[in-house]
Amino acid sequence: MNVEITPAAIALVGLLAALLAYDITTLKNHRLLTLQIVVFGVGAALILCPEVARRLARAFGIGRGVDFVLYPLVIWLVRESLLTRRRRHEDEAKMTEIVRAMALANAHLVGGSSPNRTAPSQSDASASC
Amino acid sequence: MAVRIAILMPAYNEAELFSTLAELAELHRDRGEAEICVFLVDDGSQVPLAHESLQAAAGTMPVVLARHVVNLGQGAAIETARRLALDSRSTMKSRQIESGQAPFDVFVTMDADGQHRPSDVLELARQVTSGADVALGNRFAGASNVPRSRRLLLNVARIFERITTGLALSDAHNGLRAFSPRAIARMRLVHNRMAHATELTHQISRASRAIGANCVANRDSDSDRLVVVEVPVSVRYTSESRAKGQKASGAVTIVVDLLQGFLFGKGSG
Repeated sequence: MNVEITPAAIALVGLLAALLAYDITTLKNHRLLTLQIVVFGVGAALILCPEVARRLARAFGIGRGVDFVLYPLVIWLVRESLLTRRRRHEDEAKMTEIVRAMALANAHLVGGSSPNRTAPSQSDASASC
Repeated sequence: MAVRIAILMPAYNEAELFSTLAELAELHRDRGEAEICVFLVDDGSQVPLAHESLQAAAGTMPVVLARHVVNLGQGAAIETARRLALDSRSTMKSRQIESGQAPFDVFVTMDADGQHRPSDVLELARQVTSGADVALGNRFAGASNVPRSRRLLLNVARIFERITTGLALSDAHNGLRAFSPRAIARMRLVHNRMAHATELTHQISRASRAIGANCVANRDSDSDRLVVVEVPVSVRYTSESRAKGQKASGAVTIVVDLLQGFLFGKGSG
């Protein structure tokens, strides 16, 4: 198994190392950090030893080693994107209900036939309508 | 007897709001045809609406003000105003709507940017008190100065809604609409932003039985279906309404929001 040191490999592994170094200093979640180290480690190994990816690809009936990495990555990214959108959608719906509940609870009458009154309760306000 | 009208009005950084309120207040005060109550929802305006200014503009007309602490979008603000109006007197439940004891005869959605004319509100209300459940403003049949680009965009929207909702409207995205108490109780907006207009059309389509041009059949009280009419209205295109109105790029956002709503169910798209 040959290690192929190319300029692209150096740049990519360097990028992974820099990201990892940054996350080690900032992330407090040790489980997440361990997972990241494993994933980045596998990624760096595949970059430096592309023959491993090629052999795995052939074993699974995929032509190129890079495709072996790329296909599942695209599927995973699409899934993550959909899940993130759904989560954002749900969070926004929750926020809407909270903001609306606050608005309804604090609604009050302005103007109307009793201009001297200020900020009565919602039921008071509505009774004047 | 004066018709009791609840105006559901969303507002976000509206410079024309006070003149709109003043015009409505004039109708409320002078004509004796309408008792108007405005349910105004400030949708997180950067400068919150000042009570004194609102009071001065509204005069004797009651305005119930609610404020979203963050900007959610026009659809969310209309839904908040709808709930506020239906919750008024804290007792208006569906039983009372059926027995005709609703505190309002007509519920009207209206923009706060000065593009809708209060006199058109009265005409829409008249249609509802004459038997319609939903009266939709049609700017193309009225004396509106619709810019050519906006006309084109609205025609595309009209075709899109014809395909997606099955309802053939002349003016798909007119914010001036009037509802009977039983109709407004059946509308519920979950789309926060501009997709609410398509959502509303879809809900009306599902609940309606007929559509006519300014001509209403007698309401069949036994029928569960809503009667829908279109009413000619004039829309004034001010610099503010042109700046804040829907644009071609907004159409893409609406389609994405609708798609998200379809994929993820009830939410806030």
